[in-house]
Amino acid sequence: MLLAQVGYGRGQKVHEGLDEGTITGAILSPKDEGRDRLEQCIAELRESDGNAVLMIDPQFYVTTLNTPRDGHLPEYDYYAAHAGLSRTQFSPRQIERYVGDCLNYQHTTLSGVSYLVSPNIMFDDFRDSWSQIALNMAEAAVDHHGTLTNPEPLLVSIVTSEVALRSATGLAEFLDALSSLEANGFYVLVHRNSSSYQAAMDPNAMANLMYMVHVLASVNDYQVFVGYSDWLGMLLHAAGASGTASGWHQSLRQFNMARFMPAEGGGRARKRYSSAPLMSSPLLEPELEDIFRAGRINDVLTGSAHDGILRGGPAAGANRWTDPIACLAHWTSLHNILAPVSTGRIPNRLASATQMIDRAESLYARLAARPSFINFEAQTGPGHLAGWREAIIAFRAMAGV
Amino acid sequence: MPFPQFTGDEIRAVVPEASDVKYLDKGGQKVVYSCSIAGQPYVLKFLRPNPRPLADQDPDASVQQVSLDDVTARARREVATMKQCDSPYLVKIGPVELRSVKIGDEDLICFSEELVNGQPIKKLLKPNQPGMTPAELVKLGLHVADAIDVLWQHDKIHRDIKPGNIMQRATGDFVVLDMGFVFDLNDESWSMGPVGTPIYFSPEQMDFSNRRQILDFRSDLFSLGVTLYQLATGVHPFIGGAQTSWEVMTNIKNVQPPAPHTLQAGIPEALSDIIMRLLAKRPALRYRKIEMLQKALRESLPEGGN
Repeated sequence: MLLAQVGYGRGQKVHEGLDEGTITGAILSPKDEGRDRLEQCIAELRESDGNAVLMIDPQFYVTTLNTPRDGHLPEYDYYAAHAGLSRTQFSPRQIERYVGDCLNYQHTTLSGVSYLVSPNIMFDDFRDSWSQIALNMAEAAVDHHGTLTNPEPLLVSIVTSEVALRSATGLAEFLDALSSLEANGFYVLVHRNSSSYQAAMDPNAMANLMYMVHVLASVNDYQVFVGYSDWLGMLLHAAGASGTASGWHQSLRQFNMARFMPAEGGGRARKRYSSAPLMSSPLLEPELEDIFRAGRINDVLTGSAHDGILRGGPAAGANRWTDPIACLAHWTSLHNILAPVSTGRIPNRLASATQMIDRAESLYARLAARPSFINFEAQTGPGHLAGWREAIIAFRAMAGV
Repeated sequence: MPFPQFTGDEIRAVVPEASDVKYLDKGGQKVVYSCSIAGQPYVLKFLRPNPRPLADQDPDASVQQVSLDDVTARARREVATMKQCDSPYLVKIGPVELRSVKIGDEDLICFSEELVNGQPIKKLLKPNQPGMTPAELVKLGLHVADAIDVLWQHDKIHRDIKPGNIMQRATGDFVVLDMGFVFDLNDESWSMGPVGTPIYFSPEQMDFSNRRQILDFRSDLFSLGVTLYQLATGVHPFIGGAQTSWEVMTNIKNVQPPAPHTLQAGIPEALSDIIMRLLAKRPALRYRKIEMLQKALRESLPEGGN
């Protein structure tokens, strides 16, 4: 299940993605929507698609940042009342209030959401005091959820980091605690090491993330949604994830707390095409244009409803390749690669994932060879695929699947 | 100093409501008699609130790291647990509640519990042979799981699930005995130290490097897994070539035993998988809900029944 990771500039993209059937729902962002707009958006999406999976990311983890770029978040009482928290402000009573305010808001105001998502803070180490605070908040969320009348199912937020995920021992202990929670599932975010987009993740950390998803979803039968996961969603679905998410900006395709810190500025993002066969997003120019000129464009197109714009040449179609269309095509590509790894037994899913990696590597190799000689930037080259394969092998060993 | 064997008259002097008193069994710190109270059969347990080291090195014996106060506290807890936790698969308290008595020079505490008409499943263990049919194993799993569930509903962990603490009634049902080591999450006065029987310990029961100290009903599930494994195969999963309890405990932490169906062809693979999952080193890899285990058990036999 692919969800839209919603951010600034929502427009009609979520409606259109739902209409096209490439996304199943959306994770909305209070930072990027005022209260009224958020409530209205959920109501409209619910009305237009009764089956859409809708939830918000409460973004409570922003409360621990100094002078954050928090957008509309101060309009939300559950955030405004608690912004600027330090480690000493998480007594049991305080935690109860943070969690209660946030869940009450969703339960009483956001009719139409499919899940209540608990607030949480970010931690960098499964054995540090912040991780204990995170567990305390998770337990408080379960307790508070139990006091609500006819509540929507609860997803407990877990906001950790790529650094934390390098420790298998710390993760195993943390999973022992998480798997004792009486929640319906989890909403997991992983703060990436780099704020610039990387399709690759440290293979060890990726294997541990897959293991986390597997233990929670496949072994313990929780629903597990991993936000901001983009192409990595393929590996996470293969490990048992219920849903993954991606948005239209690079900052909505991988999670980094920099999204909530003062911006350093930056130019307009260059146009890209998300290719399911390559499982990456090459630049329209020069990469996709070079592929077109080499007569290999059909090898990399996904088959989205919008591909026609580029069939006559990416450079020629660039003006019509708008951001909303690029987003819809991106979701189509993700949707297509998630399909073979979203059902069936985990070993079979992993085999499908490995096959897709093999095919993508093979395609990259053909494109790089004569007579095409396509050069890719590091970000869009095949480098991520070897790391994914390594992660699958490590995960299989850990999980015994 | 071993427990003396009291006469029926000595016992009736301190428990006048008891009649037809007969010696049944003796343990490290207790002696047990059968009796009749108001026409119903019960057992009377006498405990000496003064711990003594084990007389032998029986690896099946429970760890004795208790203080004088702990013996009484444990008896109180055992009685309270039997009163609170109502399951057909947990032994029930009798009419004699905890009381202090003196027999000769011995200061003792005593209480009564139901007399289970049946046999301890420990007697079914046979070297390298199944002690039960797969259907009986499933039934054992279901009944003990229910007992563990009822305890957990009261925030309690048994901590000493083993063949020696489970009886099969004449009706065929199983019943869990001896709640002297029950750990109550809500009682901070009771230590999480290593109590129970080492060769049935879960890895986390002896792991104090884990800062989170996760000990919940899944620890009992591990001990149930060891019990089921033994009865399915006639082999303890972690003893192997171990000579001491310490070596067994090391194996419990590190050794992955062969799946039961590879040792005994008659064990269905689905049931074997369940037992192996119960023996997972981490609680997160076992069952997070008893009903998940019970569902899996019910579905593990080809005919689906128990």
